[in-house]
Amino acid sequence: MRKRLFAAGAFWSAALAIAASLLVCLFAILATGKNPLVGYGYMIEGALGGLRPLGETGIKGAVLILTGLSVAVAFSVGLFNIGAEGQLIWGALAAAVVGRAVDLPGPLLVPLALLSAAAAGALWGLVPGLLKVSRGVHEVISTILLNWVAIHLVHGWLISGPLAARTGGEHISVAGTAPILAAAHLPRLLPDGRLDVGLPIALALALGVWAFFRHTSAGFEWRAVGSGAEAARAAGIPVGRRVCEAMAVAGALAGLAGGLIILGTEHRYPGVFRTGYGFDGIAVALVGGGAAPGVALAGLFFGAVRAGATRLQLVGIHPSFAELIQGLTVLLVAAPRLFAPLLARLRGAP
Amino acid sequence: MSALWAALAAVLDFAPPLLLAALGGVLSERAGVVNIGLEGMMRIGAFAAVTGAYYTGSAWAGIAFGALGGAAAAAVHALLSLRYRADQVVSGIALNLVALGLITFLLESVFGSAGVSPPVATLPRDRFGHSPLAYAALLAPLAMHFWLARTAAGLRVRAVGEHPRAAATLGVRVLPLRAACVLGSGALAGLGGAALSVGILGQFDSRMPAGAGFMALAAMVFGKWTPLGAGAAALFFAFADALQRQLSFSLRAADLHLEGVFLALPYALTLLVLAFGIGRTRAPAADGVPYEPEGR
Amino acid sequence: MTAALELRDIVKRFGGAAVVNGVSLAIAPGEVLALVGENGAGKSTLVNIACGLYRPDRGAVRAFGQPLPEGDTRAAIDAGIGVVHQHFMLVGPLRVWENVVLGKEPRRLGLIDRARARREVAEAAARSGLSLDVDAPVESIGVAQQQRVEIVKQLWRGARVLILDEPTAVLSPREADELVATVRKLAAGGRGILFISHKLREVMAVADRVAVIRRGKLVLETPARETNAGALAEAVVGARVAGEVLAELGAAAPVTASRKPQATSPLLTATDLHCENDRGRPALRGFSFHVGAGEILGLAGVDGNGQAELAEVLTGLRSARGTLRLGGAEGWARSPGAAREAGVVHMPEDRHRRALCLPMTVEENLALGHHAGAVLVDHAARRRTAGELIASFDIRPPDPLARAGDLSGGNQQKLVAARELRGGRPPRLVVAVQPTRGLDLGAAHRVHEALRAARDAGAAVLVASLDLDELRLLADRILVIYDGRPAGEAAPDASDEELGRLLLGQGVARA
Repeated sequence: MRKRLFAAGAFWSAALAIAASLLVCLFAILATGKNPLVGYGYMIEGALGGLRPLGETGIKGAVLILTGLSVAVAFSVGLFNIGAEGQLIWGALAAAVVGRAVDLPGPLLVPLALLSAAAAGALWGLVPGLLKVSRGVHEVISTILLNWVAIHLVHGWLISGPLAARTGGEHISVAGTAPILAAAHLPRLLPDGRLDVGLPIALALALGVWAFFRHTSAGFEWRAVGSGAEAARAAGIPVGRRVCEAMAVAGALAGLAGGLIILGTEHRYPGVFRTGYGFDGIAVALVGGGAAPGVALAGLFFGAVRAGATRLQLVGIHPSFAELIQGLTVLLVAAPRLFAPLLARLRGAP
Repeated sequence: MSALWAALAAVLDFAPPLLLAALGGVLSERAGVVNIGLEGMMRIGAFAAVTGAYYTGSAWAGIAFGALGGAAAAAVHALLSLRYRADQVVSGIALNLVALGLITFLLESVFGSAGVSPPVATLPRDRFGHSPLAYAALLAPLAMHFWLARTAAGLRVRAVGEHPRAAATLGVRVLPLRAACVLGSGALAGLGGAALSVGILGQFDSRMPAGAGFMALAAMVFGKWTPLGAGAAALFFAFADALQRQLSFSLRAADLHLEGVFLALPYALTLLVLAFGIGRTRAPAADGVPYEPEGR
Repeated sequence: MTAALELRDIVKRFGGAAVVNGVSLAIAPGEVLALVGENGAGKSTLVNIACGLYRPDRGAVRAFGQPLPEGDTRAAIDAGIGVVHQHFMLVGPLRVWENVVLGKEPRRLGLIDRARARREVAEAAARSGLSLDVDAPVESIGVAQQQRVEIVKQLWRGARVLILDEPTAVLSPREADELVATVRKLAAGGRGILFISHKLREVMAVADRVAVIRRGKLVLETPARETNAGALAEAVVGARVAGEVLAELGAAAPVTASRKPQATSPLLTATDLHCENDRGRPALRGFSFHVGAGEILGLAGVDGNGQAELAEVLTGLRSARGTLRLGGAEGWARSPGAAREAGVVHMPEDRHRRALCLPMTVEENLALGHHAGAVLVDHAARRRTAGELIASFDIRPPDPLARAGDLSGGNQQKLVAARELRGGRPPRLVVAVQPTRGLDLGAAHRVHEALRAARDAGAAVLVASLDLDELRLLADRILVIYDGRPAGEAAPDASDEELGRLLLGQGVARA
């Protein structure tokens, strides 16, 4: 059934799901007595109305594209990576630490910090893969548990304890880790706004993932594992090993997303770091049909929604509204059959 | 150690939400429907309970609303999974995402706050400090065990989760039975959320249930999908959680900034147990497999 | 006397072909009627019609003189018809008594009346001379016991007609003898029994009358004492000769070249293979054989005698004890990857699970197993190969980008054949199980041609098939497997009686 999500009609299913979701949310806003059209107007302005808003869309979209790719890559071998959040957190921490501790010029430090972020995420992604292959632990549960372990270890210990910023003497501030070196900042792309090289990186990786699955034998094997593990095994593919490889890559992508956040906008690991980007990655992957081009589009779309949602406060709606739009879209995408009759009619089928 | 006794005493405070939600998971999955959406159902139940208590002034009314809210959420999951044969894991995750955004939105719209709801009436406590719901939650695993083992309905649920076609050849109606179990599962999870918001804290906090739904899932797996096992696992997790708080407090972990290590312990422990402590577990054989009445 | 169960002029078509073509049967109360036939002869369809799972296109079913509404399982159950299916309908973790009373649980004060249920089940079992531990979880008892549970399940519901579908397929010889005794006792108690089996020894021991069905028609119906195993075997297999089969293929197919009877050096030798099946029961019990390079060995045997497990052993999917040599080397079958490296290709029985990644395209499935070696995918070469294979095997629709899961069963099988036999390097050993199941004659012909081509190129080819005609057409030698052991070898032009006897357990010393 999961495979059917990714069939050819996925784009239109996703588009319809988005439209339906926006419609439902429109009525939800109406129900609370506020003006939905004005609200949507503000959202669009907040997402697309100028260089700054576009920049916000771009940086949020970049992170979502990466976490979406993380989930999609795990899908390709048939696993559900709910752990993108935890992998992202470790990646962010690694970037914050390396970005502070290693004194190198920018062109060397940035890649090093990003690679560290990816490596940290990869390790955290490998654990559930190994547990699944060797001990049969279902990855949904293990990745969720590991998320919580990551959140608590990092937020409740590392960044408030050993890695916390120390300002003068032993006084520990509650503001997270020390700021990263200026050399570690991601270069900005536009004169106005915060758009940085994160977006090109994310898009390049999306392209890379697409190319990997389309043009390499390894990608072919992963897809075979995900679409028919028994047949893949009979064809000589080492299923267990491929699963672990895929989970490591998935973790790396999510970790990299964390690195982008730190090096691009936060510039240190903040004391309060509630993102939800990892969970949103699941939505991005599902709406994007599990394929890199779709993930890129869905990532940008949800990035726009996130960026625009901050403006909703101007009509008195909490920005978490973005999550509602996202959640409803996923819910509607989850049941392609819901739209099958409508789609058929749109295509003019008898 | 006094921390140990303090923890034991505190278990009954923290356990009911986990107990009820874990039982909800057991009910659904024993009938053959995977339910990852417990977290979302708890969240909806917790909020519905607070809203109900707020507008009626009665904590018990709130509890009832909580159960209804959870069941309503479960109805969506049942519809998607049983009628539209959607992937049950995806449906559950989608439910969690929707619950996340929807409830934050409603918290804003109904109570005008993004953080916490106004305080509402809580359940009456006895001299030990426990509400009737807490005791009920403690007895619930026994009740469900008894129901599954001794009633005809329980027998049919067990059959339908393992070999639905065999049950169908004997006249059991598979899909309606599964739907009923999913709804019941949602009601239990909603009750768990209500136990958290109205039963214990007296208000709704925007982060609720903060992962308790997933802990409940882990308890279900740890307990090998049995009511007694899940109940024991839930108590164990609640104890681990309470112990962690106690130790953290008494060892002044906050001063050493080690709180996070203690907070992470229950989850890490759960993972270790799942990986190495219980061998390969087996979910009900037909768990997660959509039932096709006319198929092979 | 009114027949307990009567089927009158039943016709059932599936997609244009008549699977059951005008069959009439009557079973008297207290009588055991055995129904014998090959796989695909129409037995299961008849069973499903009798118990109300299928509706017949023509004809009627009557139980004790009363016509039964078509397609109504409840009515059939209420009329007293009970079926023990070949694949048990038992819920593993539940206890024996729970399985028996499921759906009609005796109640007391809202709860299941356990005491009464257990007592009634034990009594039903004892009345029929079956011993059962009513409290045991069904998954923990042996297969023979499980079958008894299925029987008691029907008896407890008041079945007066019992249909047993291949009941001894999963039993050891001693358990089969016990079942035969049970069935005779049940019949003596006044029930009508329809006993479907391919094992002639048991049929002769249990039946009062025997009916043989072939290609949807009854070809023989006789009291058991007036016939013998040999006559039955011939009726089952049919008096056919290779030429007659060829004529059926039509003029479009070229006449196959005469077989080369030359002795070939063994390429594959297996000695004393032992292994278990998925249920832990012995599947191969000391199986030894050899196949030469440039030879097709046909493996005949009724389903469930070990062919599937043997194929898995040869392709690295199952481990076995004993010696296996390919070209003199051992250890080549330790994993599917290693087997492929050694030049083994596999056309498995369950193509959906084992051979195809259904969501992937035709082109991609054609490349599975032949994709290793290059880092990058050569799409042009893949497309070319796909085009060639699609054309030469006539895969429809001829679209390399069609989803494998959307193809018809026959086309999927052609896809598998194309990939394994011509998709990559020429194979050294071909293991084909049921290679033309579900294929129309033209498609089957293509697959046969490809198998012969592989042989002519020097491969050792092992074809396991339930279709004797196919084996006669293809094989240079036919080896019969029965109960995990070699039952004997025959030439492709061996008489039907001889083949039939080997197939059906004759000519094998009882252990």
